[in-house]
Amino acid sequence: MSVIRLERAVFRYAGRPEPALTVERLDVARGELVAVTGPIGSGCSTLLLVASGYAPSITGGTLEGERRIEARRPALVFATPWTQLTGIAHTVLAEVAFGPASDGLPREQVLAAAHAALERLGAHHLASRDPALLSGGELQRVVVAAALAQQPDLLVLDDPAAELDPEAADRLYDLLGDLAREGRTVLVATPDVARAAHVATRALVLERGRIVADGVPASVLSETDVARIARAAGCPGPLPLDVAALVARVAEAG
Amino acid sequence: MIGYVAGRSWLHRAHPYTPLALAAAVLLLSFAFHTPVPVWLMVAAALIMALATGTIREVLGPALLLATPTWLVLLVLHGLLGEPPKAPFGPFLLSEPGVARALVLGGRIGAIVIAFLAALATVSPARLVDGMTARGIPFGPIFLLVSTLTFLPRTRERAARILEAQQARGLRIGGSPLARFRALVPLVLPLVLGALAEVDEQVLALETRGATSGVRRTPLDPPADPAGQRVLRLGLVVVVVVAWAARLTNRI
Repeated sequence: MSVIRLERAVFRYAGRPEPALTVERLDVARGELVAVTGPIGSGCSTLLLVASGYAPSITGGTLEGERRIEARRPALVFATPWTQLTGIAHTVLAEVAFGPASDGLPREQVLAAAHAALERLGAHHLASRDPALLSGGELQRVVVAAALAQQPDLLVLDDPAAELDPEAADRLYDLLGDLAREGRTVLVATPDVARAAHVATRALVLERGRIVADGVPASVLSETDVARIARAAGCPGPLPLDVAALVARVAEAG
Repeated sequence: MIGYVAGRSWLHRAHPYTPLALAAAVLLLSFAFHTPVPVWLMVAAALIMALATGTIREVLGPALLLATPTWLVLLVLHGLLGEPPKAPFGPFLLSEPGVARALVLGGRIGAIVIAFLAALATVSPARLVDGMTARGIPFGPIFLLVSTLTFLPRTRERAARILEAQQARGLRIGGSPLARFRALVPLVLPLVLGALAEVDEQVLALETRGATSGVRRTPLDPPADPAGQRVLRLGLVVVVVVAWAARLTNRI
């Protein structure tokens, strides 16, 4: 059963006549990890907002067509973590606990959810720090932890590794893979095609507000550095998208 | 510096409503009195509050900065240009009722500014959030109040970041007053526009995290509110009511 269904969906931002997003049909099933990619301005972020239900209800604008979302309050993470702080929490723990506390859960459950989320992001040591004084990378992990603490069925992330170093970015994408295997649905917009391809179960490529490719990452994503090298070397498709896949392919070929 | 200053004073540890109630009482009482002596006693009370909380250094500078221009205007308006009888004071002829009026108005401003800066320096926004949440106050008013309380420190931090970035690109902030004024433009524009742009994303982030869910939020660390403090706040209400009753019946 689909967690997200869009059918003949057309979204326009307020004051702009041309559609920012046009989707003939999109079904996302429970437990899928969908990588969304495309050139800047192609509508990836807009797709996330529409697919999570926050556009147009919060962003404004108009949505035509059919949309169905079978998820309790989807969690959303942007590429700019400093804009996602509540502004009223003075410790990281309170910041991460904000979501579950908003649900009115008992204090013990709220704290347990916040501690568990920080633990999963490897950010537990930041619990007593002031969020306003964290580095970009630390903050990025904190806002992802805040989203996780809400225990969402649907997690939507817009370039969540923008502020992370390569090692932390690897760990974050591995975590997204784990979350999908646990049965959560994950949509991640990213220019980091190689990392996304490594964990995603499906990839969407957008151009000028339309989905131009939809399928398994290996068949849809072909613009990683590794894929370009493989193509130049005459490697037959589907092209390996990351170093691990390239090494495996070379080993296979002897 | 305007904003919370960490400390261990009794008022720092008190329920956040207590320092706010003290500041509110100073405000209401300073308007209840209309002669210089009791009004300046309110200034003294506010100063004692700042001294007792160990925030006098942080409070006095901004308080003088905020109040002094008003004091000078009041002195000119009422003292120099006020009605007779006038008395010589150095090279000036000062209006006696005008000076009394300036002292009352200036005292009220001083008392209010010092008391609220002391309360601001004493009340941790996080404890205030928890205190209000524990009382079942919805998130909207809490956010509005805490955003107001933390507006100046946050704006100052943001301005410092923008200033560093602009200086790195060659902005010079020294020189003549005109040159300094010109340097304000590349600081103020990104400050205002950046803040407006970030508001949209923050609203979205708060929404996704259930800020407007309508469910009563769970306070994480609700501050204790001992009976003694509740009695103190009730006492302040009584004092204010009595003072205003006396004022309205012309007894003070």
